[in-house]
Amino acid sequence: MNINEIQNLVERDGIVFLSYGGFLSQALISAMTEALEKEANENGIGLGMSNNIFTLFIELSQNMMNYSKSRDQNSAEVIPEGLILVSKDEKGNYYIQSQNIITLKDKDKIEPKLKEIQSLDKDGLKKRYRELRRSGKNTHEKGGGIGFYEIAKRCDNIKYNFKKINENKYYFHIKTMIYINKKEK
Amino acid sequence: MNNLNIQETKYTPKIDLDFENNTVSIIGKSYPENTFEFYEPVIKWIEEYFNNTEKDTISINFEIIYFNSSSSKLFFDLFDLLEENNETNTIVINWIYDEENESALEAGEDFQEDFENLTINLVIK
Repeated sequence: MNINEIQNLVERDGIVFLSYGGFLSQALISAMTEALEKEANENGIGLGMSNNIFTLFIELSQNMMNYSKSRDQNSAEVIPEGLILVSKDEKGNYYIQSQNIITLKDKDKIEPKLKEIQSLDKDGLKKRYRELRRSGKNTHEKGGGIGFYEIAKRCDNIKYNFKKINENKYYFHIKTMIYINKKEK
Repeated sequence: MNNLNIQETKYTPKIDLDFENNTVSIIGKSYPENTFEFYEPVIKWIEEYFNNTEKDTISINFEIIYFNSSSSKLFFDLFDLLEENNETNTIVINWIYDEENESALEAGEDFQEDFENLTINLVIK
């Protein structure tokens, strides 16, 4: 993966708590979550906000881990890598973002969910989350199918984009934001 | 029926399923890699518990600091199982949370709304 991509992500967002590029495993995710806990503790971030940061980090990184795993089985083209970044700007807003390479098939699965999420307000999102959790739909997916809805519940804003690499491959970048002042939303 | 105790890890909670005392407690963080596999013995134990007891009072203590979305789904299925056995048993669920931990409170409130027939107490730690 292009190192410039990391640099671009870092430069935009002030203080970086954690950045990682490469292969993801559960052991690594758990070690990085521990490091974030330490950071949050030392920076005196409140429990509510810090737990949301951890959950966002875990969802995004386990997502990347799972997408690369599914590809392990189905394709010779293995890209088990991704970028993940946790940062804070000068105002105290937090950003948790990730970027990885996904297939067109994954894109077609993710994009409608994110579009739906963007169209919902907080109450609508809560309702949809509970509907999906109840219906058990998509439970064949590792995350139970509600991962992006969980992410949306835990943050104040989401931005995402898909950048085409070739016919079947896309960069998927997702940025989640937690605002210190909730009115900014 | 045997008790089941699972030690806490960095990403899974401490779980104690106690047959004699009719208590279940799940305390800690929950973001396993394979959530459904991790909790399978817990679900099995609770199913077996209800098959082995006649009209009993069971108390269930949840104290989850943070969790991933598949754990959220799993807890939903667990509450579903409890609701199925709610008429023949007295089930008391304590959803324990830290006052500052708004998302844990919100998760407890969601379960209250989704399972109106269950007794779910929101308990400040």
